[in-house]
Amino acid sequence: MEGIGVGQLRRSRLERLRDARVREAADIRRPAIGLPREDRATALAAAVGGIVQHTPGQPIVAVEWRERMEQDLSGLAWLPEAVDPASPFVLIDTETTGLGSGTGTLPFLVGIGTWEGPDFVTRQLLLPDQSDESGYLDALEALIPPDACLVSYNGRSFDWPLLVTRYRLHGRRPPTFAEHLDLLPLARALWKHRLPDARLASVEAGICGVSRPHDLPGSMVPARYLDYLRSGHAAPLRGVLEHNRQDVVSMALLLRVLARELAPVAQQGWAPDSVHPGDLGGLGRAYARKRRHQEALTCFDAALERLTDAWQMQRYEHIAIDRARTLTRMGRREDAEGAWHAIALEGGQHAAWAWLHVAKHREHDASDLAAALRATDRARALAERGRLFGRRDQRVERDLARRVPRLQRRLAARVGTGRSRMR
Amino acid sequence: MRLHQPLPALEALERFLAEPGVAEAVAVRHVVPAQDATYAPLPEWLDPRLVQAIEQRGISSLYSHQREALDALREGQDIIIVTPTASGKSLCYNLPVLQEISADPAARALYLFPTKALSQDQLAEFRSLAELAGMDLSAAVYDGDTPAPIRAVVREAGQVVVTNPDMLSTAMLPHHTKWFQLFEQLRFIVIDEAHTYRGIFGSHVANVLRRLLRICAHYGSHPRIVCSSATVGNPAELAETLTGRHFRVIDRSGAPQGERHVVILDPPPLDPRSGVRPGPHWLSYRAALSFLRAGRQTIVFGRARVAVELMLSALREAMREGRGPIDRIRGYRGGYLPSERRAIEAGLRSGEVLGVVATNALELGIDIGALDVSILAGYPGTIAATWQQMGRSGRRGEASVSILVAGAGALDRYVATHPQYLFGASPEEARLDPENVHVLLAHLRAAAFELPFAPGEHFGTAPADDLLAFLGEEGHVRQAGDGRWYWSSENFPASEINLRLGAPENVLIIDTGPERPRVLGEVDLFAARVLVHEKAIYLHDSQQYHVDELDWEERKALVRPVDADYYTQAELAVTLKPLDVFAPADRPAGSRQHGEVMISSIATIFKKLKLDTHENVGWGRIHLPEMELHTTAWWVALDREAVGDWRRDELDAALVGAGRALQTVASVLLMADPHDLGMVAQVQSPHAQQPVIYLWEAAPGGVGMSVRLFDRTDELVRGALDLVAGCDCQIGCPACVGPRGESRLDGRALATRLLRLLCGPTGATRSGPDVEVAA
Repeated sequence: MEGIGVGQLRRSRLERLRDARVREAADIRRPAIGLPREDRATALAAAVGGIVQHTPGQPIVAVEWRERMEQDLSGLAWLPEAVDPASPFVLIDTETTGLGSGTGTLPFLVGIGTWEGPDFVTRQLLLPDQSDESGYLDALEALIPPDACLVSYNGRSFDWPLLVTRYRLHGRRPPTFAEHLDLLPLARALWKHRLPDARLASVEAGICGVSRPHDLPGSMVPARYLDYLRSGHAAPLRGVLEHNRQDVVSMALLLRVLARELAPVAQQGWAPDSVHPGDLGGLGRAYARKRRHQEALTCFDAALERLTDAWQMQRYEHIAIDRARTLTRMGRREDAEGAWHAIALEGGQHAAWAWLHVAKHREHDASDLAAALRATDRARALAERGRLFGRRDQRVERDLARRVPRLQRRLAARVGTGRSRMR
Repeated sequence: MRLHQPLPALEALERFLAEPGVAEAVAVRHVVPAQDATYAPLPEWLDPRLVQAIEQRGISSLYSHQREALDALREGQDIIIVTPTASGKSLCYNLPVLQEISADPAARALYLFPTKALSQDQLAEFRSLAELAGMDLSAAVYDGDTPAPIRAVVREAGQVVVTNPDMLSTAMLPHHTKWFQLFEQLRFIVIDEAHTYRGIFGSHVANVLRRLLRICAHYGSHPRIVCSSATVGNPAELAETLTGRHFRVIDRSGAPQGERHVVILDPPPLDPRSGVRPGPHWLSYRAALSFLRAGRQTIVFGRARVAVELMLSALREAMREGRGPIDRIRGYRGGYLPSERRAIEAGLRSGEVLGVVATNALELGIDIGALDVSILAGYPGTIAATWQQMGRSGRRGEASVSILVAGAGALDRYVATHPQYLFGASPEEARLDPENVHVLLAHLRAAAFELPFAPGEHFGTAPADDLLAFLGEEGHVRQAGDGRWYWSSENFPASEINLRLGAPENVLIIDTGPERPRVLGEVDLFAARVLVHEKAIYLHDSQQYHVDELDWEERKALVRPVDADYYTQAELAVTLKPLDVFAPADRPAGSRQHGEVMISSIATIFKKLKLDTHENVGWGRIHLPEMELHTTAWWVALDREAVGDWRRDELDAALVGAGRALQTVASVLLMADPHDLGMVAQVQSPHAQQPVIYLWEAAPGGVGMSVRLFDRTDELVRGALDLVAGCDCQIGCPACVGPRGESRLDGRALATRLLRLLCGPTGATRSGPDVEVAA
């Protein structure tokens, strides 16, 4: 038989390779001694403080945490993202054996957060062995009702596709749900301006004051689980569970901040004093991206109202610029010109650019060529000063090079035919 | 006589052969007779839309081999089609795929091409057929150039996905759940240019296909496989080793062929004593000029970019002198923009372009229509490639001309003097070894990542349990409670595999020429020492690069493009130790064996050799560490009594000379690159205490060449004897026993004597069809 021949060939080649390894004194790991399935789950549950949950397929380990947390999420209805606050919120976060999205990356722990009356409940499903996955997927499916609004942090591109892969791998359909609110893009838009980055750990610390002095770094998570699989040492997984639970709880806290402080701003036209102007600017931009210009404008106005000094005005100049652009998109050209004029007078980083906008409005809306030319003079003066300080603004220079000669030409033509409307 | 005077191809050939200095170079003239077309009716079960599409192309029936392919696939057989260039191979799979989709729009097909350029070309061909049939379907290329938004569409809706093995291995299989629509409904796998999947590349691809078929089985599909290949000696075995299935070989072409006049030119040595010969370019140029002046559409193939550019500019210059149409002569090589290439291809089809000078970038299946004359400046390395290039000329019902101008290298000379290899049944075997343990383990890791392994589950032809246990010791996989083996590592194993390299550790080659340095490619550590040592000339995509720096610790070689008239050749000092003998067998005066060996080697010096004459024009030292390689080898050991009366220095020269000749012939038999096989000759082997000649495989673990050399030892030794004894040099030359060095001995006579001993009393006998040899 050919198969037997190949088998022998493989064994002999492998032996030589193994000999070579032994000679090189390579670190050879003995395979873990397998416990029976039931015992494995029981031991794991005992080590992490959970219970063995019997699914039709296999035993899995579940851990439950409860804490008081009011569910006051009605404000979420006004978020830029379409969210129905009446639907059950299901917060989801996974821990995996790697960062890749291929079929060999295993989400071995799923944390699911839901509100039950006055309590916020985190249920964690932990996989006792790679062979127990089918039961694990059953248990997960049972926690996601079809009308759920999933809430995740980067779950749209990472956690959820990974779970879909697991269902497909088992030849099953992934669970259905109504909506998926991924907090990562929102957090980026709202808070990144005052945080080192938009990782959940940074956002929860900066926005909700959560501190995790003993947290397990995410990069160590895969090794802990892989080591458990090989050795059966489950105690180090406690740190992984705690890490995951905090992720889920932090998402709940962020939802609350969103619902109470930020989402209602556009609706009620004002924001609590605690809200940072930069956050409001970010919220406005999030609305603007969804073409909800009125709400965007409300946010920008609320943000600009609380900028008290010139330094702040310059620091958040981009909010004023976004506001001016929004006014243009809404067709409120006069207001837009006023907005650009204000930015120009503020003398910030983009003042030259703002003068050019003023010039544009003067030329096209008011046909006031002389005023337009004066505005370009202001822009040119600023641009030249910038250049002296080594800050060239090529965008401004290119625009000036086109705009100024055109304005001069038009003005000359108008003077020549005696149709001047100069004041 | 007017310089530019339209003439039929055959008259132009006679005129060229009558030119001074040409006649004495003619080694062979051979006429491949015309073949009439054999037609077969379109099958009655073919969708009427497809019938109409074919008829719109002016075809009312199929060639017999096309019909044979259609019927075999309909019966559920896997097939390999081995018919000449331009015999309508793609219709053999495009029609069945379209038929399947017309019957069931959910059906999917996967096309694998070895290169990106070919993918685009074949996709266009497929789409045009589908359009003629009025079928609205989604066919797309999925490769590294596919933009991200398109990728998602291809994954979900692509009915025909065209890709390459590399992309399949790293981007598709590890993410198979995202491709479940494709794998669930996969009906056909098309593997074009299957003969390119040989050596280490083929060994990898065979394992990629094992992974693919395993995924298909997981999703419940059992696709039929269509391979197509250039002519090789072992098509069925190639397809079977590659896929693990049994194949029906379809090799009786029904396509018509005009008469083909093949001429092999073998320019005589410049200096009969040293045996130094001219390069092939001057004669190729003269031949091309002669046909272009006769108004014949001509293609010239050069082996390197420099040669192509030199011949191109010389041809244009010469055409200008006679007020010829210089704009109608074009170059074609890697490095030209795709749009430029498309324009040249279209120009060739329409006749707008009269002549083209190309590298083998044009060798594979790209459609340029049929020309009158093909000229090969140098042997392209394999007989299969020779016929593919010659197949570029040949119009129906008209005589065409193919000219091979032999270069100065040993392979060139061997083919020129042994035309029976070219015209007889192909002696070339495409060898690969999917069981190469390094390759096998790398893909087993990837396969375990993709799906867990059940106990006793096969990977290839044998159960994978032992291998998985081995991977378990490394910690990559783990046997879970249900007895199955699961991937248990943070790594992404498919990204650690480079299909085109043997060893896992590679040296990156970085081009510092452009403003932003870019990675040109990589070579394995073992080969790096001879290919990218400092001051080496490295060839990539027919461009020469000078190696400015080799950072051994960082595994980086910094290169920049240059235009040099020389190439470099590094020398390895090699010691060899046999580890295990798989099979010994007696031979006259000794024995033949194959087995595993340990090679220790250190790169010592490099030589600079002129491109056209291979003349030595300088040298330098190489300072790199010694390395060990575990691989397979074939060897012959001589009985001490048989050579008892030889002087030691004579024996040494004889072994080296015979070894070089054996190496040359082995390259021909196994379609190997010259650096795929190394040679070591030992007057007194420390292990066998005998004189031994080893041929060892450069790929770690080997790719199955040694065992075939063992099986074909007779053919190999006789071939080597033929080569040496039949050489027209005096006392040995680079084309037979290798460069002579300082030795004053008659290497040719000594090697001949040694090889005669090994052949035994029957001596050398030539086999093969009768060929008219002019010289």
